[in-house]
Amino acid sequence: MLLYLLLGTAFGFILSRSGAADYNYIQGMFLFEEFQLYGIIATAVALSAPGLWLVKTVGRTWRGPVNIGPPRLFTPGNIAGGLLFGVGWSIAGMCPGPIFVNIGEGKVYALAALAGALVGAGAFGTLYDRLQRAFRLPPIVVGTGQG
Amino acid sequence: MSLILNDLVPIHWAAAGAGIAAVTLALLVLANRRLGISTGFEDICSLVLRQTYFRREALLKTRRWRMPFIGGLVLGGVLSAVAGGGWTPTWELGMFDERIGFGPAGKLAWMFVGGLFIGFGTRLGGGCTSGHGIFGMSNLELPSLVTTMSFMAGGIVTTQLLYRVVFA
Repeated sequence: MLLYLLLGTAFGFILSRSGAADYNYIQGMFLFEEFQLYGIIATAVALSAPGLWLVKTVGRTWRGPVNIGPPRLFTPGNIAGGLLFGVGWSIAGMCPGPIFVNIGEGKVYALAALAGALVGAGAFGTLYDRLQRAFRLPPIVVGTGQG
Repeated sequence: MSLILNDLVPIHWAAAGAGIAAVTLALLVLANRRLGISTGFEDICSLVLRQTYFRREALLKTRRWRMPFIGGLVLGGVLSAVAGGGWTPTWELGMFDERIGFGPAGKLAWMFVGGLFIGFGTRLGGGCTSGHGIFGMSNLELPSLVTTMSFMAGGIVTTQLLYRVVFA
């Protein structure tokens, strides 16, 4: 529990100081006027990918054999959900992590973004049966996956 | 460009990216967890909602780690402000204030609508920038690449419309 709190704090601090939780930098990325966020994501993936490969090759973690679940299957929900999330990311200027970081920074309006996100997620779960058929989502016991 | 937060100068993108990779790998190596934040919305929903979707074991089992992680995100934001010029509640919103210019009530409504898209979209898509963009893409998962391209496209089109057309 303390480990997760510490890792979350480190992650939150980096998001806060890098521009990833900054409205202007998010809009600058989508306007193709700021390289910062592209550089961050590209560097994070370029370094995480070989690290992940190594961990999977070794096959072990501090807490037993690597268990990151089966590869996730593609569903039309990936495209539709991605597009909707992108619209929200642009409107609010925050993706999920930065919503929490911005609340911590004292940005009052971020509380409204969190409220909206909870209502949105609540509506999704409530409508899961119907959405599952329309978007060929996994069974309800699985859900759309952790992410 | 300085940050909205206390006009701080942001850290270099390469350093930030390396830091994010370090947290992602630490989470995996030390705790056997795949990075992902948007499921945390479901975690919080599961505290009050009783629908089948929010009572599934896959969610309740991982709530134990994701909730403290999210608490850490808030704490990280607090520490960043305190260590960087002080913590004060603010309504400042950078270019939104210059170009769109809504007051506090308008901002709350605007952010709530954005939040609705974020909450519903990330759950329908099965993840966000961290789960798909960082972890999924690093793990070479095709659905994550498709989702990442989709949310980048959604964001680009929306911001271009907002700042180059509607509020140009």
